Amino acid sequence: MPASTGWGRPEDLVENLSSMDTTARLKALRDVKNQIIGNKTKKLSYIKLGAVPRVVEILASDAEIPLLVQSAAAVGSFACGNEAGVKAVLDSGVLPHLLKMLSFGDNKQVVEACARTLKMIFQSSLAPRSEMLVGQRMELLLNLLNSSNENVAEVAAHVLARCCESVEHQQAIVDAGGMQRLVTLLSGTIRRREAALDGLAALVKNNPQLSLQLAAMEQGRPLALIIKFVKDKIPRTRFLACMCLANISRSCPFCYPQEWDIRTSMLAVIVKLLEEPGQVGEESPIVLADIVANNEELQRAAYKFDAIVKLSALLQRESLPTKQLEGILMALAELCSRLEESRRQLLDQDPGKNAQAAIISALSHPSESVRVASCTCIKSLSRSVKNLRTTLSDERLVFPLFKLLDDPSPVVQVAALSAVSNVVLDFTPHKSVFFQCGGVSQLIQLSRSMDPMLRLNAVWALRNLLYLADMAVKEKVISELTVSTLTSLIHDPEEMVQEQALAFVRNLVYGSVDSVQQVFAEESAILIAVERQLCIACRPEGVYVLSNIAAGNELHKEAVMSFVAPVSQEGRNPSPILRFLQDMSNPQLRVAAVWCVMNLSYPDSPGAVTRVARLRESGIEQQLQKMVDDPCLDVKDRVKTALEQFTGLANV
Amino acid sequence: MPAQALPPPCTFLAVGQAFAGTQNVSSSQTSRKDEAWKVKVQLQGCDIQRGYLCGSMEALNVPAAEIPVVTFWEGEMVDNRNHTFYTGKWDASRETDVKHWSQFPSFEPLRADVEKDGGRSLDLANYPYFFMRWKEKFFVNVGTDCGLTIAGFYYICFSRNDGSVHGFYYDPNSSPFQKLELKALMAGQSGHCFASYEFA
Repeated sequence: MPASTGWGRPEDLVENLSSMDTTARLKALRDVKNQIIGNKTKKLSYIKLGAVPRVVEILASDAEIPLLVQSAAAVGSFACGNEAGVKAVLDSGVLPHLLKMLSFGDNKQVVEACARTLKMIFQSSLAPRSEMLVGQRMELLLNLLNSSNENVAEVAAHVLARCCESVEHQQAIVDAGGMQRLVTLLSGTIRRREAALDGLAALVKNNPQLSLQLAAMEQGRPLALIIKFVKDKIPRTRFLACMCLANISRSCPFCYPQEWDIRTSMLAVIVKLLEEPGQVGEESPIVLADIVANNEELQRAAYKFDAIVKLSALLQRESLPTKQLEGILMALAELCSRLEESRRQLLDQDPGKNAQAAIISALSHPSESVRVASCTCIKSLSRSVKNLRTTLSDERLVFPLFKLLDDPSPVVQVAALSAVSNVVLDFTPHKSVFFQCGGVSQLIQLSRSMDPMLRLNAVWALRNLLYLADMAVKEKVISELTVSTLTSLIHDPEEMVQEQALAFVRNLVYGSVDSVQQVFAEESAILIAVERQLCIACRPEGVYVLSNIAAGNELHKEAVMSFVAPVSQEGRNPSPILRFLQDMSNPQLRVAAVWCVMNLSYPDSPGAVTRVARLRESGIEQQLQKMVDDPCLDVKDRVKTALEQFTGLANV
Repeated sequence: MPAQALPPPCTFLAVGQAFAGTQNVSSSQTSRKDEAWKVKVQLQGCDIQRGYLCGSMEALNVPAAEIPVVTFWEGEMVDNRNHTFYTGKWDASRETDVKHWSQFPSFEPLRADVEKDGGRSLDLANYPYFFMRWKEKFFVNVGTDCGLTIAGFYYICFSRNDGSVHGFYYDPNSSPFQKLELKALMAGQSGHCFASYEFA
């Protein structure tokens, strides 16, 4: 490769950075800086050649303005969008020098170059956050907030905002007077006020105490200002004000009187900002997601403001920045989490068909957060029987979604599992698509995971998979899952896993006599596990298992009778099921128990008369008679039928 | 609408519940007696809070079709929270509404109130019958030229006590008062069994 004319060899340039001769030093610095701007390869090669420490040395010890400006700019360029560069400049100890310049530098050009560079460094996750909040550094940063130079104040707020990674960080800043100082900036120039909003938004994020503190500060004056900024004429100010208020609302709902109305007006503003160019448009979607999270009324309002139409159109743009794509998917996930009309709008409209393709392709995005957001979006869309029967059971969606069950990141796995739990409800009995893509084996494997979240969601998915599934599916699943794994799940240390495991068994034994027979495999291990669980805790799902078994043949009914009306030497024994019938806190439990009794006393079966006699001896008829006026209408109706059955059989 | 209580759950109004029976086609055009074809319904979605249901409906031995015809339907529950006795769409006027609801004997005690103001102040939550409208949305396994129409909808009366379903099909372009009669099916060999799912 020919050497670029006018520029020396790289090694020579690097050498000259340390030259005694000021002119040579400056020329070398300028040349390096010009070469690396916008050129990642050059940045990496100069880093390798050891240029960075020498540049930092210039910044640290030189006095001449042009050298200081150029070295600050070069450092910034090395760090810009380049993690290796950030590491190199930090390792060379540049931070103290930048901070010193910002505090004491008297040359505007130098100070501003240092400010830009500091900002660039703190856009990286490698920047040392905790270190900035200690003692002198913290004081220095807070003093910089009051700088007469707007750029410096802005960068100081920006750095503080990026340092708020934990509740401890946030509190440290507030304890040092940070909230007060930022609040003062709210009344300043546009840049200062935006810097303040940025900083305050970060301080209150996920922090109920600080959210409340800000809202209540100075009789609500700062809050009132922020609220006013929501309607400001500058888009970025409106955006930052919305972000700040959204963070407050999310941490601490209803912490100030007009909060509800403000949220609604924020919503209108944010929806309009979605189409704004630049950073505002990129970050508005995630703020929208925060505003409507868990709030059906606001989700409905957003639908009316055409949020979904706009997000859907944005989704189809080429090469969206990662952050924006993640935000759009999360916003859609929230907006479609409860409202069927929102889901329909996203999937049914013509532009919507491509939105669907974009959501599916996001499942394979290199960014972990985008993959999680896409799964969450699918989870929301799949809370709809209609959608599951039409668009969502397409193998173009199923295959990539199931692939994520193997994702290296557990966070993605959990998100994928939740979406899968719904998607397996395709309301067909065959489930062939799920077997074809190997998904069922993956679910079974995950049900053995050490991680309780993975285990819970895997069992949940299997439970839904078995809903009304045909015999072939049930047999395949049980043989691969194994009876022993299932019994462990029924006795799992996590209560929620136990519930899903019992519900799984309920679906397993639903329907034909062959289905019921499953529970007697390996010396009735599954049935015994269910009964043991019922002795420990009152679980409607467990009672439904017994009830479903009792709907089977004579042998099945007898097996349930051994538990419900145990025969012993002493004669009359109280039935374990009495506890369930008497539980006034849970109508579902009472209903399930009555059905169990009804199935055991089902008139057309041969052993019914004997069973009724035994049930009577166990005190069940007496208990039912006490329930003829049960407060729950469903229980009342069933009890009436059950007693009629008892009477009918007694007269035989 | 005034705040009304949520109707308590009903075993038969749950996902997975199947119903079977007949739909009577009284054709005024033929001289033959009333035809009936077998119908099977399955509840697949049930959101009592929103007064919403959905499921599939299968019509067997339909003369014009070669195979059983399956449709997907969505239902509205008349609960005075989400929906009232007045349909307000699908070409059904208030007179049409009252005329059809009045076909159900269990509607008789409510009729005066409904004629007066739509029955908005009735406590439907504790009534032994649910009133609903079921509307088929699309064909699942056949094309639209299968000889059946899904342009109309059913007025439905559902018994809490035993899950029996009575309905009347309304479509201004079809023969009036086609009757639907279904009974809740037991899925077990000798007893009633229940499956369930839960959305994540």
